[in-house]
Amino acid sequence: MQPAARIWGFAAVRLLATVALGLIGGALAHYPWAGVACALAAYLTWQLVLLGRVDWWLHHRSVAEPPETGGVWGRVISQIVRLHRRKRFHKQRFVQLMRQLRLSTAALPNGVVILDAQREIVWFNRMAGRLLGLRPAVDLGLRVENLLREPQFARYLQKGDYSNPVVIRRSSPQQTFLSLQLVPYGDGEQLLLATDVSRQVRLEAVRRDFVANASHELRSPLTVISGYLETLSQDPALDAELVGPIGEMRRQAERMTSIIHDLLELSRLEETDEWVRGEPLDVAALMAVLRKDVLARPVHPREVRVQVDSDAALLGKESEIHSAFANLVDNAAKYTPPEGSVQMRWWVDADGGHFSVSDTGIGIPPEHIPRLTERFYRVDPGRSRSTGGSGLGLAIVKHVLQRHEADLEIQSAPGKGSAFTCHFPPQRVSRESETLVGE
Amino acid sequence: METADLTHHISRRFNEDLERVRSKVLAMGGFVEQQIHKAISALIEGDSALGESVALGDHTVNNMEVSIDEECSRILATRAPAAGDLRVIVAIIKTITDLERIGDEGEKIGYIASRLASMERPVDKYREIKHLGRIVTAMVHDALDAFARMDAESALRIARQDRLVDEEYEAIQRQSITFMMEDPRTIRRALDVMWVVRSLERIGDHAKNISEYVIYMVYGKDVRHTSLDDVERELRREIPVSGTQGSAP
Repeated sequence: MQPAARIWGFAAVRLLATVALGLIGGALAHYPWAGVACALAAYLTWQLVLLGRVDWWLHHRSVAEPPETGGVWGRVISQIVRLHRRKRFHKQRFVQLMRQLRLSTAALPNGVVILDAQREIVWFNRMAGRLLGLRPAVDLGLRVENLLREPQFARYLQKGDYSNPVVIRRSSPQQTFLSLQLVPYGDGEQLLLATDVSRQVRLEAVRRDFVANASHELRSPLTVISGYLETLSQDPALDAELVGPIGEMRRQAERMTSIIHDLLELSRLEETDEWVRGEPLDVAALMAVLRKDVLARPVHPREVRVQVDSDAALLGKESEIHSAFANLVDNAAKYTPPEGSVQMRWWVDADGGHFSVSDTGIGIPPEHIPRLTERFYRVDPGRSRSTGGSGLGLAIVKHVLQRHEADLEIQSAPGKGSAFTCHFPPQRVSRESETLVGE
Repeated sequence: METADLTHHISRRFNEDLERVRSKVLAMGGFVEQQIHKAISALIEGDSALGESVALGDHTVNNMEVSIDEECSRILATRAPAAGDLRVIVAIIKTITDLERIGDEGEKIGYIASRLASMERPVDKYREIKHLGRIVTAMVHDALDAFARMDAESALRIARQDRLVDEEYEAIQRQSITFMMEDPRTIRRALDVMWVVRSLERIGDHAKNISEYVIYMVYGKDVRHTSLDDVERELRREIPVSGTQGSAP
């Protein structure tokens, strides 16, 4: 393309030449100004014709070639063509990117649903349609909870804590277990991810059944063995060198019995992860029973204190709460030397009810604390063998608390002691003391 | 974006009120669905604890009904809705009554399941009930889906399924009578089973009612006590004319 200055210069020269020509022609006919006016009119008409052609071309751009006008108009046209070409290039690249994005998300093995701030469906991929039973196009704009009506999902939304997925059971068209997770992004928008976890859920059920059945089957032979060992150990005719081994065998058999008991208890707790309904429990009475249990141990800490700061009742299942609290108190008693002390405390504040067990025992190194509630987790392998624990106590505590919407907090320093605190939400605490009387 | 029928509102707040109450109805529906499913599995698996938990969960359904009812009265009193919106509210009030009845039937099945759990289980392991249960739960689920989508076409299809449920009911009844005649010792259990089947059949009827309210809500046609073929013919004629929204207030 020619440089702009030259084109504009040329256009100016042509205009001046036209005016000059008009002036000369008019002067010859004795009307110089009329000549100039005629020349300008002709010039303007010509420009209008050119403008008309450009306009026509712009309108029929897709089919027509640009007009060959040259000069200033030619330059304008070539600029338009260039802009248009650039725009088309960007648009194509964008469209291609979009297509790739759409194809790749459609091919994802997981369901993806885009929700707006009101949780209305904006878009979803093919897998989400299949897993959640959404209909393309029809279901856009519907609130997702209107179609996913499972109470577990409603509770998940209500809780507003999306850090973990929630597993729901869909029964139609066929029974599937789905793991759903909301991922907030942008300005209140959310992404709903859905995965089919039916296989995992079934495997988990098989594993649970296996543990429960195996424990159950082991119980009867063990009862026979313990029975004979007990008779044997009390037999006065027993050889002196056998007294030690038989006593040890009896202790180990007892330990196995307690492990199996705990395994059965744990598998019963795991059967459903639903929250248990609450019946008012008298925490103070429970603590008194637990205290008596500790003092009945052959070796126990010198001091066992009970502090009841509230007469509010805890809403929960008595057998489970008893088992959880007893496990905590048992641990404290086990790991506290006879000269130490154990304290139980129950108090209620705005955050709900709290039950804590603190001791002045040997404590737990901080690196072990996060893993304490795993099954069979040992802080140090030598420690618990001597105390005869099953290794399942805190796992039971964790499950019971989960079923009561509660959390377990563990604070500990080696050599100084530990504090285990159960935090129950306010709806699990009943302040009406008359409900206690009925229980 | 709202569902097609709930557009054009002067007040955005009104719209939100309607949407919220609709969501509550569907949440109640979700809970009821789960109740029926649990009740049927309690019966089939002989799980008395599950059966009892269903029976005890019914008060949640009742509470939900009361709360939605109150909200509807409030909307009627403060917003005085007309035309399509009024139909939505009326349909909601009717729907929750049916949902509550479904919950009651679920409670009954739960009770019977926990009683039957201690009895000897039949050889067929309640296969017929399982089958009927599946049809009925699917009906409730689809009826609620139709309610969420304002989908009259599906609603009509669900209403038609009720005949299938009636046929199943007849078949199980005949079968039970045969069992009772063959071995009078099974009479007690068979009678309990008949109660369950009866409840399931009633649940099917309530699901049909809910689908009829969906048709009413969308087209403003009361299709109760009319033959479904007539309804369909009527709707086919209606669809291109009235589209999605009744006359504006």
